[in-house]
Parts: sequence; structure tokens; C-alpha cells
Amino acid sequence: MTGFENVEDVQQKLESVDYIPSREIATVVYLAAATQKPILVEGPAGAGKTELARAIARCLNLRKIRLQCYEGLDEAKALYEWEYAKQLLYTQMIKEKINDLISASSSISEAVEKIAEQENAFFSERFLLARPLLQAITSDDQVVLLIDEIDKSDPEFEAFLLELLGDFQVSIPELGIWKAKQIPIVILTSNNYRDMSDALKRRCIHLYIDYPEKELEKRIVRLKIPGIEERLADQLVETINNIRNLDLKKRPCISETIDWAKALMVLQVNDLSPEVLSDTINVICKYQVDTKMVRDSMDKVLTPC
Amino acid sequence: MLNLILNFVSACRTSDLRVSTAEVIDSVRQMELVNVLDEDQFRSTLRANFAKSRREQRDFDRLYNLFFHDMRPDTELDPENTGKDEMRKALEQMRQEAGDDEISQAIFDFLGGDPIPYLKEIQRLETQAEEASKALKSNLSQLSSRLEVMLRINQARNRLLQFQGHNDAKGEPGKNQGMASHMIERLEVANRMLTQETRPHNDGLKQVNRYDKQYSGLGERPFSNLTEIEIEQMRSIIDQLVRKMKDIMSRRYASRNKGKLDVKKTLRNAQRYLGVPIEISYRQRPLRKSKIVTLCDVSGSVWSAARFMLNMIYSMQDCFSDVKSFAFVAGPTNITDIFEKHEVNKAIEKVITDTDINFDAHTDYGEMLTQFHRDYLNLLSKKTTLIIVGDARTNYHNPCELLLDEMRSKCRRVIWLNPEPEQFWGTGDSEMNTYKAYCHEVRPCRNLNQLIYFIEDLVF
Repeated sequence: MTGFENVEDVQQKLESVDYIPSREIATVVYLAAATQKPILVEGPAGAGKTELARAIARCLNLRKIRLQCYEGLDEAKALYEWEYAKQLLYTQMIKEKINDLISASSSISEAVEKIAEQENAFFSERFLLARPLLQAITSDDQVVLLIDEIDKSDPEFEAFLLELLGDFQVSIPELGIWKAKQIPIVILTSNNYRDMSDALKRRCIHLYIDYPEKELEKRIVRLKIPGIEERLADQLVETINNIRNLDLKKRPCISETIDWAKALMVLQVNDLSPEVLSDTINVICKYQVDTKMVRDSMDKVLTPC
Repeated sequence: MLNLILNFVSACRTSDLRVSTAEVIDSVRQMELVNVLDEDQFRSTLRANFAKSRREQRDFDRLYNLFFHDMRPDTELDPENTGKDEMRKALEQMRQEAGDDEISQAIFDFLGGDPIPYLKEIQRLETQAEEASKALKSNLSQLSSRLEVMLRINQARNRLLQFQGHNDAKGEPGKNQGMASHMIERLEVANRMLTQETRPHNDGLKQVNRYDKQYSGLGERPFSNLTEIEIEQMRSIIDQLVRKMKDIMSRRYASRNKGKLDVKKTLRNAQRYLGVPIEISYRQRPLRKSKIVTLCDVSGSVWSAARFMLNMIYSMQDCFSDVKSFAFVAGPTNITDIFEKHEVNKAIEKVITDTDINFDAHTDYGEMLTQFHRDYLNLLSKKTTLIIVGDARTNYHNPCELLLDEMRSKCRRVIWLNPEPEQFWGTGDSEMNTYKAYCHEVRPCRNLNQLIYFIEDLVF
């Protein structure tokens, strides 16, 4: 059960939850879902990488589990951890029961043997604290697993992920190998801080989300902000595209376009003028140098409509 | 269909795009799921499987266009199939006339619809190492082999034109016209491929121009314009600064024990005291320690910036798990020892006096990369940050940028510090724009403020 019938179906379903995918995105998502492979999404910040995972979860009505990667992330935080405190508490509470158990035994080794028989009670799922990856594997329903900013994690963690991504299973020394009950839809995002290893890349389908084309961006703006006037939306997208062509430190992305459109709606602006752009520029540019550059090339950025 | 994809795969592989068998199997399996007649879907499927990073995508697109657009299978072109056989015969004949020469053979294969030998030829050109003629080092040999291929293309064109004219003379003007002009078009494609630059996308490149103006005056003076007295002043500023940074670092060491309670360890310790947790341990925050390999251009003006950087890096040695450094003019010399045995300022002098670096040689980045790649590649690992300090002025030698690409894939980050102001990058013999495509980060580094900003970025 993949949830999608064909590429067009992906497109429709994603659009129904307010995410407009390009043809390429739809194809890759469909292939990944149909062949049960993880998707490795790259692209500039704010291009809608994380949003894609969210949209897939929404349109298929699946639970989304998110794992944010950072330097120093280890298995204990990503996969599972034994709940020592709970184990200790239980041991205290059932102390008498244990005494009953071993009171009959004549020697120490016999007592140890008896307790060893009960080992399973302590290393059982009950005391296992499931972290995002284990949650995704053990969930009874299919989930969307989002592993965000994988490039921020250490190479060791990346290597550890290989077992999960390749076979959808994890090994827990005390309990053995756990296979996924339902194969999750896995999406990894990367900002290209470092190159991923070939082994990881080989297990994934690759997708690059670029800045959207003008028409697509217009549609996205109109969808996200239903009240916006057509003319303003056109002007807005045109301006953003011009700004993107400047040599900026951080180019504005689709999320900035939407933020800006929202800001303009709140300010009840109907027409873009140099003053308006100058007042709201902080929404679009996140660096002082960029702001200055846009201000300096105002006539190039704002094209009369 | 399968054959088509397999042909495409071998074309990809000849052009150094790594496609594994597993990926081919995946893509073929996926072809069954999508509508292959929709080109968007077809291309997306291949691209998602073959080009697995943004950097490879441009190569992929180039090959895809070549394979599926410029080299469309012949049948589509000539619906009536007239003259096709004749053309083939003619090609065969021309090939024989051209003789055993590999390049010509490749070109005629290309015309006949098999681009792989030609791609191989181009790949060979691009990765061609300098011939051993040390006396006349330049990237001329690469250029001249390119020229040779171009000449062959011209020859082939002439032959085609002759063939066309021959037909005209026989009183059959227009016959095979379409086919021949199509062949000429293909030759154009071959020519374009030869002259095109194949530089990868590098959207992830971090280009840092900003820095805090901590010290006015001295902090803004370019390293190359410093007087003796100023250099002394500079040193004391650096000393101060290093002390300050070490303070911050030691505070970080101190605070690493103030993490969350480590239940596992506390319990284990408690065992010793009959289960009473007397000794409490905390989860330690692991400190990030990276390895550093520096490559410093020691020729002329660049050295003034490089030595200050070395000075700082070595003063901060505790913050890194391993620092290796190399100085180069034409070939890299390992100067790690000198810096380990001597105090920093002395070491910097010793580099100039005691090593066998040939300061009179012309700077040759390509040669340096070749030698480093040959002798020291094992120093690079996924924990290494490679810092190159240099102006990327290669004296018009072959830049060998593909070696840098390979080194990039071995280490965590490649950072290039250029002591020239940014507006001069890429002018004259500067290959900065070529190298830039293979770095993770580039920044100008010509005064103290910029250097401080970089070191802070590196350490924290």
C-alpha cells in the first residue's frame, strides 16, 4: 500500500494540502513511495524541503516523526535508551518478590541462575525509551520519518543510519534485530554543509529543490494567501525574482516570498513602491549587506507593471 | 529500452559520473512505474538515481541532452530511411580513409551515433596530467591536444562536404542532403563539447566577506604593507587574542562536566557503595576537535598572510586534535615538524632558512596538488578541515582542479583563504574561479580583522 497511484495522483494530493510540487518533485515522491526508498532532498534554505515532508504526511494522513540532526547526535538520542530510573524503581518495588524467588535456593549460584531467568523482565520493551527512529520502525501505522539537516550530523551517525535506510531494521543488542512493522516514508534533508557519503547516497533517491519558476511561485503565493490581489502577486514574484538575480549573500526563498506577501497583506499595501519595499525589506533580506545592495539597486529590482 | 539506458549509463561512466549497478537496477525498475513517454518523468527518474548531489546534476544534464537530444537515434530523423545506408557506407569509407588515428575514429563513431569513444577522449583531455617536460611547464599540452581534436573535426567536416558535393556533381542534388547536414550538426555538437567548460554547480559554497572590525588601524592594514614595527605590534595583538580565545576554550572544557545526570554511570559507580549513589557523574558533552591540514603558498606576498595564519593556528593547537602543515611554491614541503619543535616565531623564520623550498621557482598550484595528492592523501579524513592559503595565481600552468575535487571528497571541508581582494580573483593568471567550484568555503584574508574572524569561526 503506497498511498499514491501515479505521478498525477501525487501532484493532486499534494496540491490538495496546499503544496504545489513541480513535475520532478512529484515523480521522485511517487517513485520513492512506490519502491520504498528514502528521498534525499537538497536545496537552498527555505525552498520547501521540510515542508515537502509535512505535506506528504498531511495528504496521506500519516503521522510525521521528525529527527533534527546536529553535531554530537548519537544513537541514544536518535534510536533508543534504556530507562534506568524506571528499572531501578521497579526493582525496588518488587524487592520482596525477588526475595521470595531466591529464598528457596540453597546456594548463591542457584539464586543467580533464578534471577537470570527473569532477566527478560528487565530488558523488555517496557523499559525501552523509544526515540524518533525506533518510533518510526515500531509504529503500527505507516509514518513519514523526516531526518532533518542530515549534513549537520557526524559521519558516525550517518554510517549508523545506513542499516535503517537500507533494510528498515535496527539492531538492539539486548533484544535482537527489529524489523519495521510498516515501512516508513523516509525523507532526509541536507543543506549541503558537507557532502554525504556515497553509501548513503546510493541508498536514497536524490531530489534537488530549486527556487520555483515564476508561474509556479505565483500559484504558490495565491494558494497560501488567498486574499492577495492578482496584480500584487505578479508584482511581488517579479520583484523577488529580480532580487534573486542580484549577487546576494542569502537569496530570498519561497518562504521569504510568502512571509513578505503576508507582511504586505497586514500592512494593506496594494501596490509595490520603492518606499514599501524599503520598509519591508527586512522580511526578504537577512543580512545588512544584502539589504544595502537591494536598496542601492532599487530601480533594477522594481519593474513597473 | 534497457539497451538505451545501459548505453546512457556507459556514457555517464565514461564522463566520470559514478553510477553503480544497484542504481541502474533501481532506475530500470522504476521505469516500469512511471510514464516513460512523459519526458519530465523519464528524466526525473534517471536524474534522481544517477546524479545524487547538486554538483553532479550539471554533468548529468549535459550528458542527458547530448544523449537524448543531440544524438537522437537515427531512425527518427529519416522516416523514409533513404540514404541512411548510403550514409553509413560513406562514413565507413571516410573512417578507413582517416586511418588508424584514435581521435578520428572517435569522431566518426560519434557521427555514427556512438558517443562513448569521443566522451572518453574528452575525459582524457580534461584529466590529462602534465607530461614530464619540466623545463616547459604549462597547460599548453592540454590546449594543443584540444587543438588536435578540433583539427580532426575540421577534417571530418571537409570530408562530409566533399561527400555532399560529390552527390551534387552526380546530378542528384538534394539527395542525402538531410543526412549530411545532420552529420554536420553533430560535428557542431562535438565541437561545442570540446570547448565547453565543465565546472560543477557549487551552490553550497560559502563565501564570507563580512568580518567584525575589531581593531581599527592596524586591523585594517593589508598584511603585505606592514612595516617591521607593525609586525611586532601585530604579534603582540595576536598573542593577546590567542590568550583570550584559549580562556574561552578552557571555560568550555570546564563546563563540559555540567551536563545532564548520567544515570548509567552513576549507577555503576554506586555499585561500589552498596547501591548508594555517592559519586554522581554527568553526561559529558563531547568536545568537537577537528584535524587541520594547511597548505600555505610561501611565495612572495602570500606568505605574509600565511604566516600569521600559521602563527594563530599553532598557538591554538590545543583546540584541534591534529595540525599538519605544508608550505609550497611548486611542490608541498611538510613543515609540521618545524612548528612542533620550535616556538612559533622562530619556526616561521626556520621555514624560510632551513627547508629545501625553492623560492625562485614559479608558483604552480597544479604541481602542488599533484604531489600532495600522490604523497599525502592519506592525511585527509572525514574529520579533516583542509585550509589552503594562496592567491591561486598559477602562472598559467595547468590548475589540475580535478585533484582538488578528489581531495574534497576525502575531507570534511575545504576552505580557501585568498590574500587578494575579491575584485582581483579570476583576473590574469588567477584560477580562483576554477578552484572556487571545488571548495566549501572561500574568503578573502588580507588583514588582521579578517583573519581573526576566520579563526573564531574555525574554533567555535
